[in-house]
Amino acid sequence: MGIYSWAWTGLQIDFKSLQNSGGYIADFISRLFPPDLSILDVAWIKLLETIQMSLWGTTIGAIISLPISILSASNLAPWWLRWFANFVQNVVRSIPSIILGLIFVAATGLGAPAGTLALGIYTIGYLGKFYQTAIESVDLYSLEALKVSGASWFQIAQYGVMPQIMPSLWGYTLYMFEYNIRAASVLGVVGAGGIGFELVNYIRGFEYNKATTMMLVLLVVVTAIDIISSQLRRRLEQQ
Amino acid sequence: MNEIDRDSFSPGIVCHQVVSQAKISNRPVLDGINCEIKRGEFVAILGLNGAGKSSLLRSMAGLLPLKSGHVLVNNVSVTPDTLRQARQPLAMLFQGGGLIPQLSALDNVLCGRLSAFSGWQTLQGFPPSERRIGLELLDRLGMAEFANQPTRQLSGGQQQRVAIARALIKSPQILLADEPVTGLDILAIQQVMQILADLHRSGMTIVTVLHDLGLASTYAQTGIIVDRGRVVYHGTSQNLGQEFDRLCDKVDHQLIKY
Repeated sequence: MGIYSWAWTGLQIDFKSLQNSGGYIADFISRLFPPDLSILDVAWIKLLETIQMSLWGTTIGAIISLPISILSASNLAPWWLRWFANFVQNVVRSIPSIILGLIFVAATGLGAPAGTLALGIYTIGYLGKFYQTAIESVDLYSLEALKVSGASWFQIAQYGVMPQIMPSLWGYTLYMFEYNIRAASVLGVVGAGGIGFELVNYIRGFEYNKATTMMLVLLVVVTAIDIISSQLRRRLEQQ
Repeated sequence: MNEIDRDSFSPGIVCHQVVSQAKISNRPVLDGINCEIKRGEFVAILGLNGAGKSSLLRSMAGLLPLKSGHVLVNNVSVTPDTLRQARQPLAMLFQGGGLIPQLSALDNVLCGRLSAFSGWQTLQGFPPSERRIGLELLDRLGMAEFANQPTRQLSGGQQQRVAIARALIKSPQILLADEPVTGLDILAIQQVMQILADLHRSGMTIVTVLHDLGLASTYAQTGIIVDRGRVVYHGTSQNLGQEFDRLCDKVDHQLIKY
């Protein structure tokens, strides 16, 4: 209770402005319709770019996350390595994706490469933790059995850990891919490519009807990918 | 006396003043364990929950960090530096099997042979000769038809039999078993205990943690009762009932006192 009231006072909510806000929201939404379908082709191209960014960003992030997660896992790494690897994870996780976008736009210029790299780094903060949790939840006895039979650290990782974590690793990675499509849309705001760039430009230019088209296309694709990937994940869980 | 004769008289496992690093209610889990297990013996370790019986078994396999004392397996001290050598004559069974659920029964069995190959070799899989030995072992345990099935699809008793095959593939002299029949149905319990008895008859030293006094006196020659991290009884398995009653009486008295 104390925490909730503390959080509430921090919000400094002004009820009078809340009463008026309903009208503004209604007005804003009414200006979004009808969607201007003439820009569907632009939307489609930008959307593909967003998906491509997410695919590569997730892949880069996943490849870097795997060793980091192994070094952070309590059942595989000594405490000092774990401390260091967890610290790296925390540092990455505490940087907002927008800031990463700005950093890489400064480094590689406006466009999709900056967004892809930003997503790659951003992904580490989450997949590193997810992978680590998966590794740590592996059955302890199964690893001890391999230890007693004389298997090396590498063999325990290969035969003991990998088969047990692969299904959830794929599941988490798919989820991250899905999430990164939305994150990529946000990155466009700082000029790091993808559909967000166009979206923000239309809104800034008061071309709300075009912005609506962009959002609708995004909605369709996010929904479609959500359906596909949740089916894939269910199949993985059954394995 | 030649080398072999002396060997056959020396004990299989010796625990001397073993004190564990881990603690339970302010005392070490193992609090000065002394015991000697002869070669070719079938020993059951019993005790109440939290007494330290699984920890005792784990200390023999070098899975439990010790604060003091030492464990000898075939005269080799079990220390972090000598683990590989000390574990060489050992194999271990775990409660529930301790298998890799996603791997097939055969692959699980072959995991028992990982130490014979380098990481680079096992990355490319096991050679056909090893697979044949694995299959033969599964066949001996009546599990040949399940060789290619992921072990998570098998019943508890079947999983334990795969685990036994995995233990046997390294031809151990000593088999440590940590509650190998806990959670199994009556038929599976009998099957697993019978396999252990057969292995014992063929000369293997069996050390197993059990919960069931009846099983202990039927299959084991020797019983070790552990209480609060110490050995309170070490002798024939035929008196286990009486010894246990005495132990339970003591615990009852303490409960009443509080």
